[in-house]
Amino acid sequence: MKSKSLLLVAVDFLIMFAGLGVIMLNQYPEIDFSPVPWALGAAVMGVAIQLFLIKGRFSSDIWVFPMVLFFSSLGIIMLARLKPILCVPQLRWLMIGMAVMVGVLYFSRQLKDMMQYQYILGICTLVVLCLSLIFGVEIGGSKNWLVFGPFSVQPSEFGKILLVLFLAAFLSDHRDMLNEAKRRILFLDLPPIRFIAPLLVIWGIAILMFVVQRDLGSALLFFCMAVFMTYMGTGSKSYVFIALLFFGVGAVISYALFSHVQVRFNIWLDPWADPAGQAYQVVQSLFAFAAGGVWGTGFTHGHPGLIPEVHTDFIFSAVAEELGLLGCTVIMMVYVLFFYRGIMIAMNCKKELHTLVAAGFSIALFTQAFIIIAGVTKFLPLTGITLPFISYGGSSMVSGFVMIGLLLSLSKKEKVHGA
Amino acid sequence: MGHKDVKKYILHCSIFMLVCFLCLFGYIVYLQVIAAPALAANPMNRRGDAALDIIRGTILDINGRELAKSTQPGERSYPYGEVMAPVTGYLGEAIGSDGIEAVAGSDLTGQSQQLQMLGPICQAIQSTHGNNVKLTVDADIQQLAYDALGSNRGAVVVMNAETGAIIAMVSKPTFNPTNVEDDWKSLTAREDSPLLNRAAQGLYPPGSTIKVLIADAALDEKVTDLNEKFNCSGKLQIGNEYIGESHGAVHGNNLTLKDALTESCNVTFGTLAMRMHGKGLENAFDRFGFADPINSEFNESRCHLPKFNELGDGDTAQVGIGQGETLVTPLRMAMLASAYVNHGKVMVPYLVEEVISPVGLVIRKASPSKWREVTSEKRANIIGGFMENVVTNGTGGAAAVSGVRVIGKTGTAENSQGADHGWFIGAAELPQGKIAFCIIVENSGGGGTVAAPIARQIIAALRDR
Repeated sequence: MKSKSLLLVAVDFLIMFAGLGVIMLNQYPEIDFSPVPWALGAAVMGVAIQLFLIKGRFSSDIWVFPMVLFFSSLGIIMLARLKPILCVPQLRWLMIGMAVMVGVLYFSRQLKDMMQYQYILGICTLVVLCLSLIFGVEIGGSKNWLVFGPFSVQPSEFGKILLVLFLAAFLSDHRDMLNEAKRRILFLDLPPIRFIAPLLVIWGIAILMFVVQRDLGSALLFFCMAVFMTYMGTGSKSYVFIALLFFGVGAVISYALFSHVQVRFNIWLDPWADPAGQAYQVVQSLFAFAAGGVWGTGFTHGHPGLIPEVHTDFIFSAVAEELGLLGCTVIMMVYVLFFYRGIMIAMNCKKELHTLVAAGFSIALFTQAFIIIAGVTKFLPLTGITLPFISYGGSSMVSGFVMIGLLLSLSKKEKVHGA
Repeated sequence: MGHKDVKKYILHCSIFMLVCFLCLFGYIVYLQVIAAPALAANPMNRRGDAALDIIRGTILDINGRELAKSTQPGERSYPYGEVMAPVTGYLGEAIGSDGIEAVAGSDLTGQSQQLQMLGPICQAIQSTHGNNVKLTVDADIQQLAYDALGSNRGAVVVMNAETGAIIAMVSKPTFNPTNVEDDWKSLTAREDSPLLNRAAQGLYPPGSTIKVLIADAALDEKVTDLNEKFNCSGKLQIGNEYIGESHGAVHGNNLTLKDALTESCNVTFGTLAMRMHGKGLENAFDRFGFADPINSEFNESRCHLPKFNELGDGDTAQVGIGQGETLVTPLRMAMLASAYVNHGKVMVPYLVEEVISPVGLVIRKASPSKWREVTSEKRANIIGGFMENVVTNGTGGAAAVSGVRVIGKTGTAENSQGADHGWFIGAAELPQGKIAFCIIVENSGGGGTVAAPIARQIIAALRDR
């Protein structure tokens, strides 16, 4: 049974090599072989890591990693087709990500110990998010990048990890107080302000990101994560209500005050009002979905290049055009399976803290996929954010693998000490 | 409260997100299956033009002459150049497409909606050649009309009155479709709008040509009859304003409706319009379809009609002589004229006669269809007779061709751009079929002297076939 998971890894890389092969044949007679050594390297690494996971020294889950590799392989062939110049960098990021994941697994014991230092985590979360608020540089319309010489990093990607860790630690530690020291105001059960202050700060920062950085996607994701984590940790519907109220008021105020929020919202309401201007990207994305139909136009046979920035936020539209509804269904199903495995890991954790962390990571990645797929299909207003493991992006890839590493290490069945 | 509760809440959140995801999936199914055909047909969607690996099909005229052809993917030449530009339209990677290149785009690339449904399989059976498209247009007549307009701006539409097939559609000034992408900036910046297909998109005040419709409407609304005698003193006083006759003519008394149309008497038609009021005029314009789009192969401009019920007497009288806010396209005026030789029926105008596969198989053939019945056969004969009199005894004499029954109506439209636009609309009964036409020559002065002779040339050329 366990060794059969290797078959999945093999299928993932088969997809990658088949896709790269198609692209290279299309290039004939001037074939660019440069991705081949990198792809081979990634394949060897992937197989080695799966063998290492099967041994079960640091982790007991062998299904999550093959699914992540499936996303990555698909992302790489879509990139090779859409922006060939980014194919090798993405393969490099994949290898770095896998290496980081192994590192996380290797130091999992120490990392698990560190998960309990809630205030240090809280301060780190604040620092990381404020860094980008203060020193953020604008790249591609969002002011959420930190530039270090040749590298640019999106701190919000790593903020996600810290946020989950902090909220999990805070909530599992303070749950009793949050639930018991309540005062009833109208129909809401509220604890003393000092207990919910950290939550308010997180929500506030999410709104700030929304406004200052124009990073609507991250803001929405942070906000959803905070709400989910709070509910999972306390089960209090009052918090959810307050959060939604907070969100509603914040949304109305920012709609009234900021033109970029208005633009996004109006595009969502009626993209046909200005299909050649502000709504161009979304309209082109809808055309891509229509062109794909059920079967897709076939890999390399569509025209996803008509969508600006198709290789980052809009990669799902390219998949929808060339691989059709079938491709979309497969990807969405794998996200669901991935989510299911993540939640199962959470359910099997012995410590409440670990349960919250595992569930937090799973729901964060799943919600992220939901937000961007909903955005490119105009199901919800578009908020730029990467499709986990598929879109191009180093920060997103590496932070994703850190989460997978932690998730896998939490799956390790261990004896409970204390707790 | 314990660990167990946390798991319960995690389950709540998970189920919530899974339901959201399921809704999203349902929406994607809707998008890719149900909404897809409408989105694919959206004119903003340039995917049809972007089929770069296919040799685009040839556009042919009714006699099989090539109007646009490709010898390799991405290359396109237009042997008739500017002459056929309003018909063929253009095609460009960055500028999209227009005309037949746009309307028949999926035929020319051979990418039918049905074929695309097959997805990747379609790539395997996709021909490297698109289909050829044979049009109803006659390149000789098109060339003749183009030359006849000379250096004037304007438009000519010639159509088969019995089928709706467009025989010629000329617009001047125009552009060379071969270079349109290179010249895009200068073409779009030019004040005389060469990219505008004046025949279907040019909006002009109809001037006296609209009197045909007004006469029809006046009989329909029973505000006059064939025996009434009108009196024209050369001036129709309405409050402080007045409507005068062109060149200060006075048509005297004892004018019948027939005489008034023949002489194009403004006083009579202004009076008739006022008798019908806004409501009657609105009914008439509705009946002739000016308020509705033709769902057809033309990227036509919608005609502009005044808000009839809000018009004062003076403006109502202006409608009766085709001045004021009313703006129409030459295509619509040719269709109006066609009703008077086609038993009161207007056909759906069309350009694509046949779609032919690369191996010569006819995939699709046009089937003429009635657009609407705009007037009764009896009244069509009466007004048709009046219009015949316009050519034999009235202002349209320059359009007369021996041996052919020609009916018509001249028009001289005042406008804000300068000298009057000259109109001539009408129809002719040729041995091989009935045609209707509309000619407008911008800023040329009287329609009888400039536009009507162009009609004569076209009718004579078709007669001598």
